[in-house]
Amino acid sequence: MDKNKSKQLVFLGLIFFIFVVYTLRLASLQLGDVPYKKMAINNALNKITLYPSRSNVFDRKGKLMVYSTQMYDLSVFPFEITKLDTGLLCSILELDIQTVRGLIADARVRAKKRQKNNSFNNSALFYANLSNKQFTLLRENIYRLDGFFIESRTDRQFATATLSHALGYLGEADEELIAADNYYQPGDLVGITGLERFYEKQIRGIKGVKTVWQDRTYTERGVVKDTQFNYPATAGPDVISSLDFVLQEYGRSLLNGKKGSIVAIEPSTGEVLAFINNPDYDPNTMVGRDRANTFKTLLRDPQKPLYNRAVKGVYPPGSTFKTVMALIAMQEGVLTPETTHGCGGGYRLGSIRVGCHPHGGPLDLRGSIRISCNSYYCQVFRDIIDNPKYGDVKLGYAALEKHLRSFGLGSPLDIDLLGESRGNIPSVSQLDRRHGDRWKSSTIISLSIGQGEILLTPLQMCNTAAIIANRGWYYSPHLVKRIEGFKDTAWDRKYKIKKFTSVSPQYFQYVIDGMSEVTKPGGTANGTGIEGIEICAKTGTAQNPHGKDHSIYIAFAPKDNPKIAIAVLVENGGYGATWAAPIANLMIEKYLQGKPESSKPEMEERIKTSVIQ
Amino acid sequence: MRYRPLASNNQEKIDSLAIFLYVVLLLIGFVSIASATSDVNQAFYDLSDVAIKQLVFIVGAILIIFTIVFSNVVVIDYFAYGFYAVAITLNILVLFLGREISGAKSWFGFGGFGIQPSEFAKVATAIALSKFLGTYGVRFQGWKNIATALGIFLLPMAIILIQNDTGSALVFLSFFLVLYREGLPGYILMSAVWLGILAIFRIISEATGVSSFYGYGFLLGIGSIVVFFVRKDRGIAILVTTIAVVSSLFYTIVGTFYLKILQQYQRDRIELVLGLKEDDRGLGFNLKQSKIAIGAGELWGRGYLKGTQTKMGFVPEQHTDFIFDAIGEEWGFVGSTLFLLIFCGLLVRLVIIAERQSTVFGRVLGYSLASVLFFHMSINIGMTMGLVPTIGIPLPFISAGGSSLWAFTLFLFTFLRVDQVRK
Ligand SMILES: [Zn+2]
Repeated sequence: MDKNKSKQLVFLGLIFFIFVVYTLRLASLQLGDVPYKKMAINNALNKITLYPSRSNVFDRKGKLMVYSTQMYDLSVFPFEITKLDTGLLCSILELDIQTVRGLIADARVRAKKRQKNNSFNNSALFYANLSNKQFTLLRENIYRLDGFFIESRTDRQFATATLSHALGYLGEADEELIAADNYYQPGDLVGITGLERFYEKQIRGIKGVKTVWQDRTYTERGVVKDTQFNYPATAGPDVISSLDFVLQEYGRSLLNGKKGSIVAIEPSTGEVLAFINNPDYDPNTMVGRDRANTFKTLLRDPQKPLYNRAVKGVYPPGSTFKTVMALIAMQEGVLTPETTHGCGGGYRLGSIRVGCHPHGGPLDLRGSIRISCNSYYCQVFRDIIDNPKYGDVKLGYAALEKHLRSFGLGSPLDIDLLGESRGNIPSVSQLDRRHGDRWKSSTIISLSIGQGEILLTPLQMCNTAAIIANRGWYYSPHLVKRIEGFKDTAWDRKYKIKKFTSVSPQYFQYVIDGMSEVTKPGGTANGTGIEGIEICAKTGTAQNPHGKDHSIYIAFAPKDNPKIAIAVLVENGGYGATWAAPIANLMIEKYLQGKPESSKPEMEERIKTSVIQ
Repeated sequence: MRYRPLASNNQEKIDSLAIFLYVVLLLIGFVSIASATSDVNQAFYDLSDVAIKQLVFIVGAILIIFTIVFSNVVVIDYFAYGFYAVAITLNILVLFLGREISGAKSWFGFGGFGIQPSEFAKVATAIALSKFLGTYGVRFQGWKNIATALGIFLLPMAIILIQNDTGSALVFLSFFLVLYREGLPGYILMSAVWLGILAIFRIISEATGVSSFYGYGFLLGIGSIVVFFVRKDRGIAILVTTIAVVSSLFYTIVGTFYLKILQQYQRDRIELVLGLKEDDRGLGFNLKQSKIAIGAGELWGRGYLKGTQTKMGFVPEQHTDFIFDAIGEEWGFVGSTLFLLIFCGLLVRLVIIAERQSTVFGRVLGYSLASVLFFHMSINIGMTMGLVPTIGIPLPFISAGGSSLWAFTLFLFTFLRVDQVRK
């Protein structure tokens, strides 16, 4: 029986062998490193993204300016396409067959990528932003398109066409952003410029998730009960902009036919009241299906409608800069309100000559601003930088530069928009490079009247007016008053802390007295003033080597307790008094008096209908 | 051993350990089916249609048990060939009258129910083989007897192959194990294993594009070297030469068979299991999902009724052929190892019972049962874990379905009944 015993043992050994091998196999599957559990969960749970509405944006008086609308995408499970009616798809989307095949191939690549992350749910965006017609047709025919489904999300609608550069536009998140921030998925909209970009993290809201059980055929088998997997989308909080809708619209109408910028600030808060550029574009064309095409067209437009000149354009401030020069000279102790200088139609120093327009006898400080005498400021400028207390022109200039920088010039003002230019306040070394090491005050004399290397953005010009209105300080200008429920100390630090210039408050009154006479008889902007409003202003003309000079005007009003500071720049507009002054004064009138009719209808009509080539 | 017909006198107590293990397996089966076919967020008592149907089958199985326990065991002996004839007839009839389900024509349909005669052919074949080998004077030698014994199980196997139910047909190979116990020389089984290894090597080299020259070179080269060293002993030299030549011949045949006879989908299936092919969406999808299901169980399992892989239909045939996935996913490594232990425990118990038989009939029947169960279990579970090609055969006592449950219940209790009268 030994032989039989051994045969029995062979049987038992066989059973034992299988038991051991299978137990080891179980161990390798269940106790090994492959994340099978995660794969199983990814298989069965389908996390459906619930898209939040982006914030509604209101103006400072509660007028709704930007809101969200529903839009639809066509998505696909590319590996579930069994029999595709390509013809139907082509006709609905109005695409040719090659394009549709390309889109399917793209979707496969993206779905494969998702699948690599152990996700069973390998759907991918197929076609974003369906038109109304496409959406209607697809909704009726979706059952005939195996593997395709419609997803919804929101897009923007603007109440006005004048908000393009302030609000900015949206675009689809690019691969770089998606890689950097896992909040975004292909096809997601994200702010590209303007407030939409700057406050993207607040405005976008919070995506929600609906997690459902899904079986092998992607059929929903009920919502997962665990609340951890389900939360609704949270719409972006209301954004209260500092802009004044009426002023914004009005300013844009005044800029019709002219290239330029208008920036208005409430001096006491730094809140931007108006932010206007021309050329601009209608932001409602930058939504939905046509976004990409519109963008391409705008990009190619020689008028550069995407160019935000209010914060990116830099111009010599011209004579408006005399206000700042006078303030610094007083602070430096080289100028008093009583200081007088004569002018013989210009300022001569060796071979240098700075011309001036004809005007009457020696002027004091007030008169020099009213009349905008160039000779006066050549002298003031030389007094500042040739000041014997410094002993050296470069040290004198360095003192001037320091004062200028305290006005927020030569560096960005930190407005809540990206891409703000710093302008230019030349440093000593920059002047060395430009003029050689041995320059004198006469070499750089044109700086005295705001020409030469000094460059300001329209925003900086406006902020200068706000500083004078405040008698020596400013808040960094900003376009957002508040975002409901948003509290950020970094934001507060930026926009709620006063920044003081290095010029003492007591000197401002003398400059302001001069500015208050600019729109009065004898002033450079005589005739453009508004009855009943004491406007303090300064005209300027920026030399333009490429064509006709730019018309510039800075102002604030009223003189006491100012409510608005403004800068207007009209490219190729010539004298500041010609275009910029009337525009700014009409704006001031509109803002302070809030009447539908201007007290100067002829001036308003002339401005609105004029075209400058 | 002297031939003795079965007698109904002198009864022992029916083997309670085997019955206990049977009941435990039946419970595990039912509970797993109920889970695998339930919907998400569905309570256990809210039974699915499949689970209710299985409950009916279990009631049927209990009826079968009582019928066997209370009938005279002599019937089995007396009608052994009769049962066999009936089973063969039914399996031929099903070719003409049967329903075609997933490519195999192996089902008799009665409304919503179906009966698969091939399941019953296993038990009938086992009884017939037991009867034949137990018959006085039959020894497992002599070409005629060997041929008859082989014929008894190769005939139903051939018929079931014609039904296109490859899995069920392959089960009949387990009778070779029985023959080994009854005297089939071990070297024949060893040769079979050797040929199996050769076949796998040939397939791997074909699938990976390795020239068959290396295989021949190896076989004939090693053969020549061995022959050179043992050339003094003519007998061994001839044997080695024969082995080398036959092996090379077989190597050629497998290559031809693999390339010329097998269909592409069959080749794919084999290559998938041999790990020569990656395919996550097509054929490999089922295998991958099955592995995910088991792997997701981790140490303690995802919890009863919480196996999404099985519930949500990611695993194919989750309540029949892939029912082990439900166990693996919901009870984890601990549960599935315990299950293996229980199943293997039953097998060991059956081998022990088979060995204590005083009759050849009883012993052959016992080994037939153990071998068939062993084959089913190792193929089925191996398949779900990706160790064995996807061959569609149920996991006895566990998989949903009446035919398999009834046939194995019949098989088991017939044997236990025979065991009762072993002395
Ligand atoms: Zn003058």
